[in-house]
Amino acid sequence: MKILLIEDEKELALSVVEYLSGESYLCEVAATFTEAMKKIEVFDYDCILLDITLPDGNGLKILEELKKENKQDGVIIISARNSLDDKIKGLQIGADDYLTKPFHLSELTARIYSLIRRKQFNNSNIVRQGELEIDLLAKTVAVNKAVVTLTKKEFGLLIYFIGNKNRVLSKSTLAEHLSGDFADMLDNHDFVYAHVKNLKKKLNEAGCEQFLKTVYGTGYKWEG
Amino acid sequence: MKNLLQKSLKQLTVFAFIVFALSIPSYFLLVDWIWLNELDENNELIAERIENEFNEQKISDEKLAQSIQFWNEIQPVSKVALIHQPLVKDSQYTVMRQNPYSTKEAIDRFRGLKTNIKINNQNYSLVVETNIEETEETVGYIAMVTLLFFLILVVGFWILNRRLSKKIWQPFQDTLQKLKSFQLNGQNRIQFQDTDTIEFAELNATLDKLLQHSIATYKNQKEFTENASHELQTPLAILKNKLDILLQSDDLTERQYHIAEEMNKALIRSSRINKNLLLLAKIENSQFDSAELIRFDTIVLQSMEALQEHFKEKKIDVSTDILSNVEVKGNSGLTEVLVNNLLINAIRHTLPEGSTRITLSKSAFEVSNSGEQALNPDLLFKRFSRMSDDNRGSGLGLSIVQEICKLQDWTVKYDFVNKEHLFSVKF
Repeated sequence: MKILLIEDEKELALSVVEYLSGESYLCEVAATFTEAMKKIEVFDYDCILLDITLPDGNGLKILEELKKENKQDGVIIISARNSLDDKIKGLQIGADDYLTKPFHLSELTARIYSLIRRKQFNNSNIVRQGELEIDLLAKTVAVNKAVVTLTKKEFGLLIYFIGNKNRVLSKSTLAEHLSGDFADMLDNHDFVYAHVKNLKKKLNEAGCEQFLKTVYGTGYKWEG
Repeated sequence: MKNLLQKSLKQLTVFAFIVFALSIPSYFLLVDWIWLNELDENNELIAERIENEFNEQKISDEKLAQSIQFWNEIQPVSKVALIHQPLVKDSQYTVMRQNPYSTKEAIDRFRGLKTNIKINNQNYSLVVETNIEETEETVGYIAMVTLLFFLILVVGFWILNRRLSKKIWQPFQDTLQKLKSFQLNGQNRIQFQDTDTIEFAELNATLDKLLQHSIATYKNQKEFTENASHELQTPLAILKNKLDILLQSDDLTERQYHIAEEMNKALIRSSRINKNLLLLAKIENSQFDSAELIRFDTIVLQSMEALQEHFKEKKIDVSTDILSNVEVKGNSGLTEVLVNNLLINAIRHTLPEGSTRITLSKSAFEVSNSGEQALNPDLLFKRFSRMSDDNRGSGLGLSIVQEICKLQDWTVKYDFVNKEHLFSVKF
């Protein structure tokens, strides 16, 4: 899987590349508008991570160019600008997702995972791990062909874990993922524990092997 | 409070009153002096005439004595009497006495002349008295006329004042009106009216300078906040990402993991403060359109659904009274933030097993939660002024609520009634 990261902040780019390298991703970096345009002209990518504010141009132009040439690359905008207008504009031009800085790398990874799955498996998009089967399109989960009913949040958590296989996810990271903007405004993150517990219980009762492990007391890791 | 012209009108009226009041005795003294002089002259003429008339008769002394007696009888205001020695000098006097011609009882003032006349070479004394206007009558007439003129003057002042205040003060009123409607964050400069009055032109020039300076300072400050927040996003992002990578190290101990987790929590908070500062700056920079028609009830229900589990977790009893189809003008994104902030506020500050009430009517949205004592409403909406010792929040939530209300022409109010904190937003 080829990913192009268009980001002028060197340290940020390094972190993303390092985090993604554990997966089967090949990650290239373009630090400027011109460099990015050159790469896009020549290669195709499965996913492009696009920073809007570049030193020599607006990232949205790159997006427009991609759409003009009818390229199928998935695009996730990563921006320091948390403006609703930018978000709407970006999605209107044809971005697949929008992430505001600062974000967790696990969040980014989960989004890349979902985007690539969505782009590549148009009709049936089923993830299998042992006896567990997840239909990403229909948003259903089955263990040994028997359907397990999950709440919206539990399903979201499961996808998040699958998208971050073999990585340590801390409670606060999950809290941010689950409650979005207001995680930090709430007094405690125990609601994360409640959701994870329910998910584990449901999968366990359906006869699923225990892939989700607790690490360091409060963190989680999906093994597989 | 009185306006400037009314104040000067009062002073002018008092001054005019004093001048007019002083003029009354002056006029009186003048008129009286003229009267007396004229009458003295008149009396002398009469005396001369009487002397001539008697001498022209050329009658015998005996007949003369009879004539004088007869004269004295028919002319009660003048008297001729025989004297042996001529008077040393004439004397003039003023006397108050009954008018002999009047049947009514009326005391009149008379000006008299006692002089020496010679008839048939004999010395006679002659007294001539002429009626003269009484002092109080003269004073009365003068006072009446003066008062009339005083009234004309005051009414004139008043009318002139009204016209002047409309005309002369018009540029000032214009400036005042423009200042009243001026908003620092409105981003448009004031164009003052041209005026040929030096004072107003100076005032306008000074105000213009002051305003430009304020606008520039305000703009700088806003841009600074926005830029600073923007600049902070990147280092925050780097920190966050490095922590994510740190968590994946194979040789991470549990203690190190917990340190990283604490750092992450602090980082989430700084990101939130930063985001909120940015949001505040943007609201103040009027970067939001607040004229879309939004469904308030939908926003409240969505927000409640998202936060439901947090109410449940704290075992907070939530009662709702939400009217459907509530449409208001505003910005949907900001209104969402407003509702979220108020609800999260209620979740955070309601004690476990407390209660929260959420009400939406045609014109107001209210969130109330059980509490122990009233909070200071002046500090409540101020940035970074924390009411509780819980310092987990960004300290900006309610300031944002207030700013959003200001932008959308709504009002937010805090009350403490029946052991309940009540936040009400009126739109």
